[in-house]
Amino acid sequence: MGKEAAKTGPLAHRPDNSAFMQQRLPAWSPMLTTSTVLPFMYCMAVLCLVVGVSLLITVQGTQEMKLDYTEAGTCNNCFQSLKNVSNAGKSCSCRVVFTLEHEFKGDVFFYYGLQNFHQNLRKYMDSRDDAQMVGRKQNLKNPSSYCEPYIRDEKDVPIAPCGAVANSMFNDSFALQYQGQPGDPINTVPLYRKGIAWYTDENVKFRNPHKNKSQTLAQVFEGTTSPPYWQKPVYLLDPLDATNNGFINEDLIVWMREAAFPNFKKLYGVLVRTQEPFTNGLPAGNYSIDIVYNFPVQYFKGRKQVVLSTVTWFGGQNRFLPIAYLVTSGLVFIIAIFLTVIWWKFGKDAKNMNE
Amino acid sequence: MAIGDNTKADLELTWEVRANCRQRYARGRRRSFLCFRWGQYADNTVRSYKYSLLTFLPLTLFEQFHRVANIYYLLIVVMQAIPAIASLRWYTNAIPLILVLTVRGLKDLATDLARRKSDSQINSRASDVLDSTSFCTVQWKDLCVGDVVRIHKDQPVPADLLLLCSSEEYSLCYVETADIDGETNLKYKQALSITHNELTSEPSEKSLADFDGVVWCEHPNNRLYAFRGHLRWHGEDHVLNNDHILLRGTVLRNTQVAYGLMIYAGADTKILRSCGKLRVKSTHVDRLLNKMVIGIFAFVLLTSLLMAVGHGAFESQVSRFIPALSALTVNGDPVYSAFLTFWSYIIVLNPLIPMALYISFDVIHVLHSLFINWDREMRWEKKDSPARARNTSLNEQLGQVGHLLSDKTGTLTQNHLLFRQCCIAGRVYGDASISVEETQQMDLSWNPFASGQLSMWAPELVQLLRARQCPIVSEFFTALALCHTVMPEQSKGALLYKASSPDEEALVGAARDLGWVFHSRRRDNLTLLELGVTREYQLLATLEFTSQRRRMSILVRDPEGGLKLYCKGADMVILERLQAGCPCLESTERALESFAQTCLRTLCVAVRCVPEELWECWSKVLTDAATMATGERDAVLEALHGDMESQLLLLGATAIEDRLQEGVPETIALLREAGLKIWVLTGDKTETAVNIGYFSKLLDPDTCLLGGQELREVLRSADPGYSASSSRQGNAWCVNMKTARAKTALVISGPELAEFVQEPGMGAKLIGLAAQCQSVLCCRVTPGQKADIVTLIRKYSSSITMAIGDGANDVNMIKTAHIGVGIAGVEGGQAVQNADFSLAQFRFLQRLLLVHGRWSYRRITFFVLFFIHKTCNFALVNIWFGFFNGFSAQSMYENWFIAMYTSLYTSIPIQLYAFFEQDVSAESSLKSPGLYRPGPLNRLFNPLTIAAMLAQTLFSSLVLFFIPYGVFHDSPLDYQTLAVTVSMADIFCVDAELLLLTRHWTVFNAVFLCIAFGFFFIVTRITQQPRLFQLAPADYFFVGVSENAFANPLVWLTALLAGVTAALPALFVFVFNVLLSRPDTHRVHSLAGPRPVELRSKVRRIDSGRRPSGVASRVSSKGAAPASGGPHPHPHHPRGLPLLGDRPTVDGSGIELNVPFIGRKLLPAIGKKPDHD
Repeated sequence: MGKEAAKTGPLAHRPDNSAFMQQRLPAWSPMLTTSTVLPFMYCMAVLCLVVGVSLLITVQGTQEMKLDYTEAGTCNNCFQSLKNVSNAGKSCSCRVVFTLEHEFKGDVFFYYGLQNFHQNLRKYMDSRDDAQMVGRKQNLKNPSSYCEPYIRDEKDVPIAPCGAVANSMFNDSFALQYQGQPGDPINTVPLYRKGIAWYTDENVKFRNPHKNKSQTLAQVFEGTTSPPYWQKPVYLLDPLDATNNGFINEDLIVWMREAAFPNFKKLYGVLVRTQEPFTNGLPAGNYSIDIVYNFPVQYFKGRKQVVLSTVTWFGGQNRFLPIAYLVTSGLVFIIAIFLTVIWWKFGKDAKNMNE
Repeated sequence: MAIGDNTKADLELTWEVRANCRQRYARGRRRSFLCFRWGQYADNTVRSYKYSLLTFLPLTLFEQFHRVANIYYLLIVVMQAIPAIASLRWYTNAIPLILVLTVRGLKDLATDLARRKSDSQINSRASDVLDSTSFCTVQWKDLCVGDVVRIHKDQPVPADLLLLCSSEEYSLCYVETADIDGETNLKYKQALSITHNELTSEPSEKSLADFDGVVWCEHPNNRLYAFRGHLRWHGEDHVLNNDHILLRGTVLRNTQVAYGLMIYAGADTKILRSCGKLRVKSTHVDRLLNKMVIGIFAFVLLTSLLMAVGHGAFESQVSRFIPALSALTVNGDPVYSAFLTFWSYIIVLNPLIPMALYISFDVIHVLHSLFINWDREMRWEKKDSPARARNTSLNEQLGQVGHLLSDKTGTLTQNHLLFRQCCIAGRVYGDASISVEETQQMDLSWNPFASGQLSMWAPELVQLLRARQCPIVSEFFTALALCHTVMPEQSKGALLYKASSPDEEALVGAARDLGWVFHSRRRDNLTLLELGVTREYQLLATLEFTSQRRRMSILVRDPEGGLKLYCKGADMVILERLQAGCPCLESTERALESFAQTCLRTLCVAVRCVPEELWECWSKVLTDAATMATGERDAVLEALHGDMESQLLLLGATAIEDRLQEGVPETIALLREAGLKIWVLTGDKTETAVNIGYFSKLLDPDTCLLGGQELREVLRSADPGYSASSSRQGNAWCVNMKTARAKTALVISGPELAEFVQEPGMGAKLIGLAAQCQSVLCCRVTPGQKADIVTLIRKYSSSITMAIGDGANDVNMIKTAHIGVGIAGVEGGQAVQNADFSLAQFRFLQRLLLVHGRWSYRRITFFVLFFIHKTCNFALVNIWFGFFNGFSAQSMYENWFIAMYTSLYTSIPIQLYAFFEQDVSAESSLKSPGLYRPGPLNRLFNPLTIAAMLAQTLFSSLVLFFIPYGVFHDSPLDYQTLAVTVSMADIFCVDAELLLLTRHWTVFNAVFLCIAFGFFFIVTRITQQPRLFQLAPADYFFVGVSENAFANPLVWLTALLAGVTAALPALFVFVFNVLLSRPDTHRVHSLAGPRPVELRSKVRRIDSGRRPSGVASRVSSKGAAPASGGPHPHPHHPRGLPLLGDRPTVDGSGIELNVPFIGRKLLPAIGKKPDHD
């Protein structure tokens, strides 16, 4: 009714007196002065400093051992032999030894690292079929065109898992041994080789194709072939654990989670701390790693590493982040000082002139 | 009447209209489908809408894809469908594109529906149409050409009609043309005498139904004031012209009934033909933005090219040696691979082109315009007229106006004219130095027609009049009551005058109040009631007023049979046409001068007794001339009129006060403080203009005027290398130029201006000089010159011009300026029709500029800069990532993030910023006009600020990439986690910067910032959730990433640090501004500068005094005549009382600041009318 009346009378064109229309919405305009913003800057610097320092202390408490085994020890033989293309398929074993000066306390993670290997090329990253890996039957035999050029082999048999990522899977394997002192008995260091991938990957993203009770995994994968570089079919990836085969093989899953940069490491296993002498972590002493050396890196000047590391609440040994915090803190501090000087020299005048 | 550039065919009279032949025209109705048309005659339906149910989708898409940005995006989407180059999925760009298209489509639809509604309102108006023997009522849309239509009093005319007859004598009829030209006075039309005689003699229905004339005329055209054709009836041809035509859009007044034959219907009518489109004006920000987008596009191309080259190198140098990767090289050819990568990078870098910016830009502009429309403080209570933004794309330019060009009459003044003084036979009656409010009312009760609104105190005049003692006084008022084109209207016993100019209304009104009542006008006679005695004057000829002639005359035969010519006009024109030895000439001239100094508008009134022989001879020549060709005739008429209007006997002069509008001095003072250069352009006399200048605070009391010969010398004396930029060092016309010029105003008259405009190089000098002066007054300029001035300023200075005016004579200027403002005042709608903004009063300009303009400028510039910043630092990360992934066009982000980033996560908060931000309140921006200054100087959006923004963008994109790089490099974290981390850092950075940018937090700002922030986390979780992955593994392959990443403290620490560090420059700027922020008021004061130095004789000082009427000395305005002898010192005007100008100059900085305060305190006192006797 009010509206009707408003449209006729002498006030027909009077705009509504609403806060929105009159641009008088209640609003908070912080009254910012030197005394609030400069301390804020300093606080920020201090905050960054505190975070940086505490992170740094945390990081200092971690231990890490990196071992480049590309050409180390007897692996040099394998390295040389792989240079010959005809030996590509052959398995080569070697051993590297190292010594831990200090005990690695707590959970110890065993990584393998690759350098100079671009897992982040667009065409490489796209060259996979998630629909196949999630166990869709029709995709198992008809891999997506994204897998180009590893869709089918020369005999037109579909590849499972298809694509360049799976094809280039890292296929060295490691066995870590511990020998406290020379002459001591050699202990095989037990590693959890399962549970190293994300829960969502193991349970959602990677599933084996559905199989009947009577079928074996090999039968499910019948009619497919393994990627050309592979030495074992997908259903025999883990000879020790039947449940760790097919698309849900954890090494495969870890590999399929492509690294962001050409230098990366991937989890291989986690120390099992149930039996002596590993209940507290890795004791100091001599170690050796038996390596099945398959993965060729010599073509691209790549390096291969094993990394043993303890972790903190924010991951492995990572000094960059604490330092970055310290740098930012310093930057904020410098800016704050600069601004203080500016204010001292010019800002105060402005204030005086106001009065 | 100018007939434009029409083709010959157009002029041929081939448009045939047969009366009462409905079937024929109903059949021949014009129809159209898409672009096909057939049929000649339009029906009477107005269709301003564009879309129908069927055509909406194709048409709106067609229109939208006219925009290059949209086409570009469509191409990108198409490219994304090619798997070989699709570095992103199709939906990343399709979603924003669809969003943009939808929003704009909906906007179009809404406006179209509104148009449909108003169309149907008009189309369903009722009108009487002759149906075989009787009139019946139909809707407008059912009328068609050839119908005979009946119109009643006060009804609008439904189509262009040939007036057949009317209920009045001679079939006269009066129309009001307010909708066409905004004039509210009545114009009369008259039917042909043949139709009048034949069709009114019998009962009209019968004779009208039998009417079977055929009209042959021009094809429909847009010439509102011209019509050519003839009526063939009973075998005879009768010539038709514009006087016989009733145009659609006019309203019938003072006439009971009129009958007309429809000639043009609907879309063919002249008004619909002539409603042109508003000229598209683009703003400075628009243009710079477009350049920037083009620059960005070039950058995208170049970068893509470089990246492609890099990719080629990588393929041939690195990946060739990795068996696992080399198989991926397309066709094994690195060059081909690089070629594809080029396109892939164009897709990846595509978000750099801010498509959503354009649509947001539109939305913001519309809302800002609505804010102007809604602003109650810009609504004039008295007339209930709010401000209107008619052009919704110029808002930010309101904050950049450097030159304000204002009309005087009706814009600065009320154009509500009051008859204040007159001079009859050398004697002055009335005293204008007493303000209107304080003027005593004279007792006019003896006069039943007196309106009681005469604001003049002159009892001695009334005595003279009533006693009829003085024939010259009677003659003076007879002249006022007769010589005009006013139309009287009786309403409820009162006599109302409808005049085309307020001057006439005031004069006729004054004559009425003093007993010389103009009672009625018929075609050839005028009735006066002279002190109650009815006298009829036979009207013989009207010599009309034009802006060139500047006078009008009327030739009448008085009841005694004598022939008399009454003439009134501008003093200059009349004085040179007087007979020799006119008495009282000198005293009248003196009176004229004093009127002018009191800011009164003056007119001279004269009479001539015309001998009978002269009249006979003259009228004969006049009749002959009527048949001549147009061009020739005009010259002859000019001469004829000149002949008649000579040998005049001066009766006296009138002085009309045109009062300043409320708030004008304050507004002008404020705008001057805000740094605007104000030019007043008026057709008035120099003295009047100068005085108005002082009253309106356009000129300070101590301002020097530079005009006439001196101005010419200053401009000429300058060294040849003088240019607008070098003028600072300038010439030697005064001691301390810079400061002196700041206290100088230019006064230029029309003829001088024409001279300057023509002389090459002079324009630049003039503008350069004007830029240093306080203000400029242009007097006696024609409408064309007003536009010339605007063009001149636009040409020689880079500042934004705003023209404000109220009348038809300002239309040119309004159209030419960057921004045109129309005052919706007394003179009607033409200025408003052509303006970009309309205001009811001049004083609302301060709010329009200082509040709305300033806000819009800040909001929009910051919005644009921020928008581009956020899209660029988001997209540039891809380039840095390219260095680590072999330039393979791998995107840094998840596809869904890209699709949502500009549209959902970041656009709403910044848009709300652009809606609501107020860095200072409306009140404080009005209080400290200095805050406006950055706008005209374009401080906020120029190549420098853009470069600063781009540098900041570069920095933040580097930080956003390299901090996560440091963390993720050589770590077990994967690419997808990195993608989420960088996305998070992006969001943190943008939101942090928004926090710093926004200084005015409304609920909406806060809520939507939180929502947008929350959306990122929610939507990311949703798109990475298992169920969607199971539905479409190829589109949701980021499954589970956020679940793991959000639980990882490293990701949070990295994203936070990257986000905050990337926002550091913004923080720095923010704190820096806070530290140095100071209300700009003190700067305004300090700009006033030192006292002006006394100018030598070159420039006359205007003494300011307590008496405003004595303020101005005369600036030689009559061209070069008085000063032709070269420079010579002018004596000080003797009357002025020196006050401010002669105050001893105080040196020292302490006093300096106070100078403007002196001015401010004194000015109101001067601005007000002093009340001394």
